[in-house]
Amino acid sequence: MSSTPGSRPSTTAIIGWLIAAAVLVAIVVLVALNAQSVWTSFFPPEAKSVQGQEIRNLYDIVFAIAVVIFVVVEGLIIWTVIRYRRKPGDDELPAQTHGNNLAEAIWTIVPTIIVIFLFVISWQSLNKIETVSATPDLKVRVVAGQFQWSFEYLPADADAKSKPIFTVNAPLGPDGGLVLPAGQTTHLYLHSLDVIHAFYVPQFLFKRDVVPNTDAVHDNQFDLAIPASGAGQTYRGQCAELCGVGHRIMVFEVHALAPADFQAWYDKQSAAASATPPPAPSGGQAGPPVNVTAQGVKFLEATLTAPAAGFTFHLDNKDAGTPHDLDVLDAGGAKVFDSKEFPGPAVRDLPVPALPAGTYKFECSIHPTLMFGTLTVQ
Amino acid sequence: MATTTLTPAASAYRSGLYEWITTTDHKKIGILYVINSFLFFFIGGLLALGVRTELAQPGLQVLTNEGLYNQLFTMHGTVMIFLFIIPMLAGFGNYVVPLQIGAPDMAFPRINALSFWMLPLGGILLLMGFVTGGAASAGWTSYSPLAQDRVGQAVNDAAGTGQDLWIMALVLIGTSSILGAVNFLVTIFKMRAPGMTLFRMPILVWTVLVTSVLVLMATPVITSALIMLFIDRNYGGHFFDPVSGGNAILWQNVFWFYSHPAVYVMVLPAMGMISEILPVFSRKPLFGYKAFVFATAGIGALGFSVWAHHMFTTGSVYLPFFSLMTFLIAVPTGVKMFNWIFTLFRGKLTFSTPLLFALGFLSMFLIGGINGAFSAAVPVDFALHDTYWVVAHLHYVLFGGSVFGVMAGLYYWFPKMTGRMLGEGLGKVQFVLMFVGFNLTFFPMHQLGLAGMPRRIADYAANAGWNDLNLVATVGGFIIASSMIPLLWNIFISLRAGKIAGDDPWEANTLEWATSSPPPPYNFDHLPEIRSERPLFDLRHGRAGTH
Repeated sequence: MSSTPGSRPSTTAIIGWLIAAAVLVAIVVLVALNAQSVWTSFFPPEAKSVQGQEIRNLYDIVFAIAVVIFVVVEGLIIWTVIRYRRKPGDDELPAQTHGNNLAEAIWTIVPTIIVIFLFVISWQSLNKIETVSATPDLKVRVVAGQFQWSFEYLPADADAKSKPIFTVNAPLGPDGGLVLPAGQTTHLYLHSLDVIHAFYVPQFLFKRDVVPNTDAVHDNQFDLAIPASGAGQTYRGQCAELCGVGHRIMVFEVHALAPADFQAWYDKQSAAASATPPPAPSGGQAGPPVNVTAQGVKFLEATLTAPAAGFTFHLDNKDAGTPHDLDVLDAGGAKVFDSKEFPGPAVRDLPVPALPAGTYKFECSIHPTLMFGTLTVQ
Repeated sequence: MATTTLTPAASAYRSGLYEWITTTDHKKIGILYVINSFLFFFIGGLLALGVRTELAQPGLQVLTNEGLYNQLFTMHGTVMIFLFIIPMLAGFGNYVVPLQIGAPDMAFPRINALSFWMLPLGGILLLMGFVTGGAASAGWTSYSPLAQDRVGQAVNDAAGTGQDLWIMALVLIGTSSILGAVNFLVTIFKMRAPGMTLFRMPILVWTVLVTSVLVLMATPVITSALIMLFIDRNYGGHFFDPVSGGNAILWQNVFWFYSHPAVYVMVLPAMGMISEILPVFSRKPLFGYKAFVFATAGIGALGFSVWAHHMFTTGSVYLPFFSLMTFLIAVPTGVKMFNWIFTLFRGKLTFSTPLLFALGFLSMFLIGGINGAFSAAVPVDFALHDTYWVVAHLHYVLFGGSVFGVMAGLYYWFPKMTGRMLGEGLGKVQFVLMFVGFNLTFFPMHQLGLAGMPRRIADYAANAGWNDLNLVATVGGFIIASSMIPLLWNIFISLRAGKIAGDDPWEANTLEWATSSPPPPYNFDHLPEIRSERPLFDLRHGRAGTH
């Protein structure tokens, strides 16, 4: 029989320790080369909201205490392990210490004081973050559904159930996203159309769940203030609560504008919304209809065929509350037809001008990873 | 006890497989638990490798079907928690507890067998989802309404039978846990050997006792919640679906009322195993035995008042109360940490593999405790909740803690279970690989979470700045997987030609080492006198070491 591994620990053990040492050296070298970025990676991003700055201050205190505790206790473990290893041939029994009341009292009382201190300061900062202004400068309802965000701008005297003045349906891009005035306070309501989502902007160090409720009066709400210095900035947001197959594409942008710019944008949006909506089918003789149905954040048609002389998309959006659009991209990915999104359930006719014969891609620009197909123009 | 059925069916008795399937011997059942749990550990590990492979780089490379990605992490969490850690620790408890209290078997041997056999059945039921149109994919937490089957919401991906199989499997596994808990409690309270008073019980027995109380109080709650969810999905119940007047947050309350105590179910017995191993390999008694017992009970009690710290961002819980209780639970946990360190302090440490894994537990669980305190500060949790920080935290507790504890226990009790030692060299290689791989995988997740990477996404933007850390985590994941090779090889060759263990290879303290390895079916020919929590130490050294 071959010898047992227990009888020759040295070779295998040496290999093991060599691996460990190599990894350790590699880590130390990498850390030393990137000391600055490694250090900042232990902190959240610089906070871009007033509430986020409060959270960051608290994080810094918790982090400092945690580092001290970690270094002291982990150091104690390592030192003890190295210092009290058994020497070869030493068979003497060490002192059989069963306990020490003073030491045990100390390591019960001191941590209790530390955690109560941490509780008190985090409670204080929680109260600041949760403070809601009686007169916010703006009220917006953030509406989340599988798998997109839309933003409803509410009247000044609105509550959780008020009708919006206008709605921004696209979550991304220069014409979409949550547009907020920098240097002012916005009161946000979070409304879900289906499952639980979470409104999360990493640079605000903040998230709050968007919970579907039997009655919108129970919807979550909070105040968000971006400092005046944030004007002109865009912040990335993302759904943080698993909401289904499209969870990861549920991204959005927050655009902070200087108050004057915001007012101009706001006036333009509300004017557009109050203008009488244009007659749905534009009178143009755009050609035969091509039927497309959007349901369950999918296009039911994977392939479409249309005449080169021009045609009309007959888009049936069956997803209640979920906006879709229908764009056409050429082989190079350039957008050759662009339509405006609308929430379902609704049907729109979208006249498409003449296109050169060939193969195109059609997609919903809000859900491009889930809703797309091939359009053949003949 | 198990010997009373030696009737003429001797031919059947001799058949090894038949004997293992019909056994009511707590030692055989314990080994069955351990083997079964390892099988599911490998399945859960493969699922995790799938997740890590997809996340190694931005873009969708492997799991282009994102529904499948959601199935993988859902099943990874479910398998690891319900079919690996909890049953693995129950298995060690099953094997060791009756021996440690000087009992011939568990109080209810047949119920013991029943508890075990529900597990592979539940596991098969759970995995059947993959071949019946998609496994559960709403996360191991299965938050409602995502886990509901709603008309017109095919995007939920919870419409298939996978979610129903998930519910049925968890009801089975939960029932197994409840039966096991009753069995442990009766065994510990009624079957201790003469002289084995409560405060002379080994710490592992104490932790199994407290764990059993937690299981008995918490598991019926999730079992009823699961049945309510099943009714919601299949018979139009309106418990958790707001569309029909239910309450989505109610599910989270009942789910976490079980699942937070379940964290202690997953870690207390591992703490107990560490508390057996550290004294043996430092040749000292556990420092502050009674304080440790009270800290265990304290964690168990406080464990029922912190469930809503998983729900800080729901806007539906009273934040200061749950914040305070969560902070306070750090105190008994800290007491244990110092008890362990001062057990080593001024000891004479022998660095056998069980001690290495126990030290791995100590140093990694410390990180899992500290990074948990961040989330107890509610505003900080607003930043960290549902990001990779939480994934780092829970793995530092459940892998850095429980899995390292399980490995320590395996190397420590393998000689008792089989009569042969596991090889030390391969053991050390496994430890180094696992320790390095573990930290490479899970430490960068702290930074990913701080940088804003949410959990449960199959892909991320290439310009988000998360590429390097994700790659490191994936490499680490494969190093962890590779650490299973020396383990399996070690078990394989040690079973054939390992060093013969003898009754007490470690110079241990507790009663399981006072009988042969492996022990006879009835466990003990005779018991030493029990005058402290270390009867075997007393036997070797007289009363020299006690007060």
